[in-house]
Amino acid sequence: MDKSDETLKEQELDLKNTKSFWYADWSFPIIVGLMSAGVFAGTSMYFNYGTGAFNEVAFVAMLKAGMTGGSYGACAAFGASFLFARVLEGSLDGILDLGGSILTGVGLGIPAILLSMNIKEPIKSFPLALLTGAIIGVLIGFVIYAIRHFTLKQSNSTFGADIMMGAGNDTGRFLGPLILISACQASIPIGLGAIIGAVIFYAWKKPITGGAIIGAMIAGLLFPVKV
Amino acid sequence: MHFLIILIESLIIGTLVGLAVGVGAARMFNAPTVQALGAFRTLGEMNASEGDPASHFSFGLGFFFNAWASTVAAGSFTQDVTHRVIPNWAAALLMLKNHDEKQMHDAKKMGIAGAIVGALIVAFLNLTSSALPQSLQITAVKVLVPAATLLINTVMPVIFWLAAIDGGKRSGIFGTIFGGIAQLIMGNAVPGVVLGILVGKGVDESGWNKITRIILITTIVLFILSAFFRGIDLTLVKQLNLGVPAWLRQIHSVFGG
Repeated sequence: MDKSDETLKEQELDLKNTKSFWYADWSFPIIVGLMSAGVFAGTSMYFNYGTGAFNEVAFVAMLKAGMTGGSYGACAAFGASFLFARVLEGSLDGILDLGGSILTGVGLGIPAILLSMNIKEPIKSFPLALLTGAIIGVLIGFVIYAIRHFTLKQSNSTFGADIMMGAGNDTGRFLGPLILISACQASIPIGLGAIIGAVIFYAWKKPITGGAIIGAMIAGLLFPVKV
Repeated sequence: MHFLIILIESLIIGTLVGLAVGVGAARMFNAPTVQALGAFRTLGEMNASEGDPASHFSFGLGFFFNAWASTVAAGSFTQDVTHRVIPNWAAALLMLKNHDEKQMHDAKKMGIAGAIVGALIVAFLNLTSSALPQSLQITAVKVLVPAATLLINTVMPVIFWLAAIDGGKRSGIFGTIFGGIAQLIMGNAVPGVVLGILVGKGVDESGWNKITRIILITTIVLFILSAFFRGIDLTLVKQLNLGVPAWLRQIHSVFGG
């Protein structure tokens, strides 16, 4: 018996007892807490330095809309409803969806709610952001722990999570062509750069969004446009 | 100094997120016995690499370039960093030695590998993006903001709405009602349509039980509260060419609205 078999056996033993920190239900809130602390602090970095948000360009743009004088409403509602749906679904099927619950809910929805109420401190200050995120994460973890223990196996519905996931992925596909369109509207060199970048990425079988952005950026570096 | 602050903050964030992603992903292989944190697509994709560190690495690399472009352009990592890059690179790191697929099922090892990978990735992304020349940032704003606005205000509501309609009669009806009201109250239909799908499919699959009732009532309360705090009721009364009653104005002023 080699070493990996032994660790596997230990692991199975851990699983059976689900006592060890790494597999127990009680440690789940701690793991969610760590995750949320990091993601919330990432949003804090985005707020302060314009980089570091753990989400898609399109979703972060909603927070940006609020930061640049618009309304935080869309971002708050979008994030909060995703968090709500994912917490329910996650406790029922055993996998809490990271993207919807933590990245979108905690990373965008909750900061947007706080900012719309003009509470800026937890997002501006890095240590406070870590702390706020950790507390929110532990709370979410406990809610899931509670739902899991009280309603386990009473419901086998996924609450349409597959439909939402499908729609979410479809949305992502639209971003590439949309970026090409707006690059072509920015200036002719930037438009050409985006087209070339997208074609190269397509030929490489990579998502054309990345190629379009890189192409537009290179063209914008050589032939700058005014704001 | 600026550089140093970004480096330190990025290392802290990367370690925390990487650790949680690693442990969460390893726990997924044991769900639903163990409550995990991750995504179904991550689970499928990690199984698809069949214990080959090179294919885990190159799978992550493809998404890493996309994430890099997105960070440089708009400061957003994309969800792929936590869904694909960190878990696959952590798995690749663990399998370097003996190509053993079981390594990535071990939550402790995945947690440590994830923390290392996460710290490096987050620091790299943030440092390269913050060192960007001004003209690039202007281009990024010029190109990305209009595209994202179109996506959020037009494309997303339409796609989610059509998905709700295709999802069956109940999700279509609830999606349309809540989506329309969300557009009126919040200026974006997506959250309403999502809640509509949630209620509709929930009832389709498990009937009107305690959970689905709670979701429906919470949704309605959420809508009423956000309508009130955004002064939608006042706007409605005005647009119906009626005078705003004094008592309603008073309630709003009590809550500072």
